[in-house]
Amino acid sequence: MHFDPTIPFKYWDALLIGLGTSLRLTLICLAIGIALGFVTSQARQSRLLPVRAVATFYVELFRGTPVLIQLFWIFYCLPMLIGAEPGNFISAVLSLSLYAGAITSETFRAALKSIPREQYDTCRALGITGLRLAIWVVLPQALLRAIPTLLSNAVALFKESALISAVGMADLMFIGSSIANRTGRPVEMLTAVAIIYFTVAFPLTRIVGRIEARILRRLAV
Amino acid sequence: MRPRLFPWRKATETMVQNKLLKIHNLHKSYGDLEIFKGLSLAMDRGDRLVIIGPSGGGKSTLLRIVMGLEDIVGGDVYLDGKPYILRDGGKTKIDHKLQARVGMVFQHYTLFPHLDILRNLTLAPVKTRGTPRAEAEAKAMALLDRFGLAAKARSYPSQLSGGQKQRVAIARALMLDPDLLLFDEVTSALDPELVAEVEAVMMELADQGMPMMIVTHDMHFARNIASRVVFAAGGVVVEDGPPEQVLDNPQVARTREFVERVFARKK
Repeated sequence: MHFDPTIPFKYWDALLIGLGTSLRLTLICLAIGIALGFVTSQARQSRLLPVRAVATFYVELFRGTPVLIQLFWIFYCLPMLIGAEPGNFISAVLSLSLYAGAITSETFRAALKSIPREQYDTCRALGITGLRLAIWVVLPQALLRAIPTLLSNAVALFKESALISAVGMADLMFIGSSIANRTGRPVEMLTAVAIIYFTVAFPLTRIVGRIEARILRRLAV
Repeated sequence: MRPRLFPWRKATETMVQNKLLKIHNLHKSYGDLEIFKGLSLAMDRGDRLVIIGPSGGGKSTLLRIVMGLEDIVGGDVYLDGKPYILRDGGKTKIDHKLQARVGMVFQHYTLFPHLDILRNLTLAPVKTRGTPRAEAEAKAMALLDRFGLAAKARSYPSQLSGGQKQRVAIARALMLDPDLLLFDEVTSALDPELVAEVEAVMMELADQGMPMMIVTHDMHFARNIASRVVFAAGGVVVEDGPPEQVLDNPQVARTREFVERVFARKK
């Protein structure tokens, strides 16, 4: 059996639907994850020890375990705990969002930490304190600094989303491997799937680099 | 009349009311390291004080204390005769109304990188003093114009040279009409050819009678701008007098040693 590059083209419509599912899921989880990550980054700086402890435990747990296991745990074990079947879509969204939240909370934390101490001194000297300091000086700078890493997080999440095929979500990976099994053409199909992932991710990583350079130039003071 | 923040200080107030700034018996330490061991210093309204002394001697710390950025261990600071900073109940208490009358310019400019130059100037007056934006912008433009920076109003800090950034930082401090302006080694981070433009702005302010407290390594500039030079070492003021005295003809051996060493290095 020789390599036949035309095979994936016969299934282009199915692959496109899979890509749509992957992108939709990535965007949903990214939105939830960023919100969750921001709240978590704040909770980790809370003055209340229990809040800090819960937030830290959550972040370290999800950063320190494989996403695939997190996904299986939510898909198989959560139903036993809550006595209801969340289904594969909810499970996928839940696990990827929690994962994205843990990762982006670190992004926000690093961004907040990277604001030089002198900025705070200057603000005190100018009488800008408390909420005004947070809203007009700290948050805008932290968000600017966080943007490049958040975009990298987004690209990583898009690739990690291939894991949800393991719980039967019909994403790009799932459709690609299903067709590969049915046609007995794994090399052609999985290569095509890889090329599609790359075609989406590569331009994004390039854009991240450009945006990062621009922001760093702006913040280089 | 607004309520007095430190009513029990009344007796002391009348004694010091003629001085713009009075630092009395200041103690400060970082852990075991004692920076000030009872430093006292007073400043009149027309004074431009240059503080010199060995590095690590706490010159910048002194400015930071006067700005209200540091806790103190003991002593008090009066501004315009009113208790400004003091120890009470084991804590450093700062009168924030008086703090608002002091301004400071830092070594590394610390402009707000996410805001353009005009916004850098208007942020504090608009957001904390409730100055109408149009009014603040008109004032900012007048200041920028005076410092030769009007064309940069819509630029971002990263697009400016170090000298321009430092002039913006001075303008930003002036937006709040301080009664006393502190300069913490404001030319130390600049390339040599950019120092003059910042010093020119400071000389202009000096000519207009702005009270200043300056920490600098530039002895030539110190001589030009100072009305008084203070040599601080070992946690106290060692010598305090006009620049002709302290820099050219020091009365205390320790000052003479320091000044000779500094000028020898310059040659």
